[in-house]
Amino acid sequence: MRRIPWWRLGAMLALLAGLGLGLVYSWIISPARVTDSEPLALRTDFKDHYRSAIAAAYAATGNLPRAEARLSLLADADPIEALNAQAQRMLASGQSFEQADQVAALASALGEGITVEFTSTPVTETTNSIVSTSTLLPDPSEIPPEITETAQPVETQATISASTPRPTQTAVPTLGAPFALTGQETVCDRNLPDGLLQVIVFDSRRRQLAGAKIIITWDGGEEEFFTGLKPELGNGYADFIMDPNTAYTVQLGAGSDIASGLTTSTCQTSDGETFFGGTKLTFQQP
Amino acid sequence: MKSSRWIFISLALLAGIGLGLAYGWVMDPVDFFDLTPDTLRADYKSDYVLMVAEAYHVERDPDLAARQLAIFGTQTPSTIASSGLAYARANGFSDSDIALMQELVTAMQAWSRIQ
Repeated sequence: MRRIPWWRLGAMLALLAGLGLGLVYSWIISPARVTDSEPLALRTDFKDHYRSAIAAAYAATGNLPRAEARLSLLADADPIEALNAQAQRMLASGQSFEQADQVAALASALGEGITVEFTSTPVTETTNSIVSTSTLLPDPSEIPPEITETAQPVETQATISASTPRPTQTAVPTLGAPFALTGQETVCDRNLPDGLLQVIVFDSRRRQLAGAKIIITWDGGEEEFFTGLKPELGNGYADFIMDPNTAYTVQLGAGSDIASGLTTSTCQTSDGETFFGGTKLTFQQP
Repeated sequence: MKSSRWIFISLALLAGIGLGLAYGWVMDPVDFFDLTPDTLRADYKSDYVLMVAEAYHVERDPDLAARQLAIFGTQTPSTIASSGLAYARANGFSDSDIALMQELVTAMQAWSRIQ
């Protein structure tokens, strides 16, 4: 059998050793500097910033397809859930209610496929004579975008009709329409406090509504409380502990159906233990 | 022992190092996560500036816009906005988007002066 010369064997080992050294250096000691990353690689808190910016832009323009395109860059498994969770985190950490609401509103719009209606007020300029319309949905990887542009001579001034219309947001009715009692159910959950009355309020777009005043009355008493004080349970959530020997009546301060005769119910666990159950009411604006 | 053989072994070592570096830096670089926004590709940065501009156009809150732009790190908000605008102009953003970004740049420049 012919032996391999030692120096050839040494050369092969040197090549492998060099390869290993090169990989250690390029992967661990001095990896390539990142300069062209994508939003999906951002740290979690920066992803939250990114979502907030998307939501703020959506609140300003009402352009849902554009917001969806931007959200897709973050590659969330469930963008709606990610937005809702972020809105809750923002409220729980004391961030601006308006910003959290924008994030929640975008989640709601995505869930319903709603595009907020806007009316645009054309911008008038004296120096430009182009009427430009664009179908840009800014997927940055596809820049430059498709633009349809038509030159139009104008005598003394011109009108620019933008692809992203300057919005005058159509007001969504929040007052006037009474809330309907859409759900009333007995809750027997040993993990909840005895006699817990839960109230959840939705607006007309099925978004949980924070700050809704709830009036609860009983024989000889009345109390008011508001939704949204426990954001970890939902913007439209509020609760109250009922006394076992009292019947309560609940309605919303803004006007709603009346839920009356609310009492605790007797529940039983699988091992025979009894406890006071609660009630869950759901109100929604038609 | 011939010195040419040691030279051959040394060259093999250098070739291995070169191949390792090429593979680790170019062919299969490390996948990074938990990055900061300053590492974003220019088009993503520009689109972020556009988002801030769209919101600023309605909210008219330069402090909020500056805070949103500050996530890009050490540059001033007006510099960040200007960079985004330059990219937008060079890459065929619509006139309306460019107008919004221009408005933001102007606002950030004014905001910087009063800080």
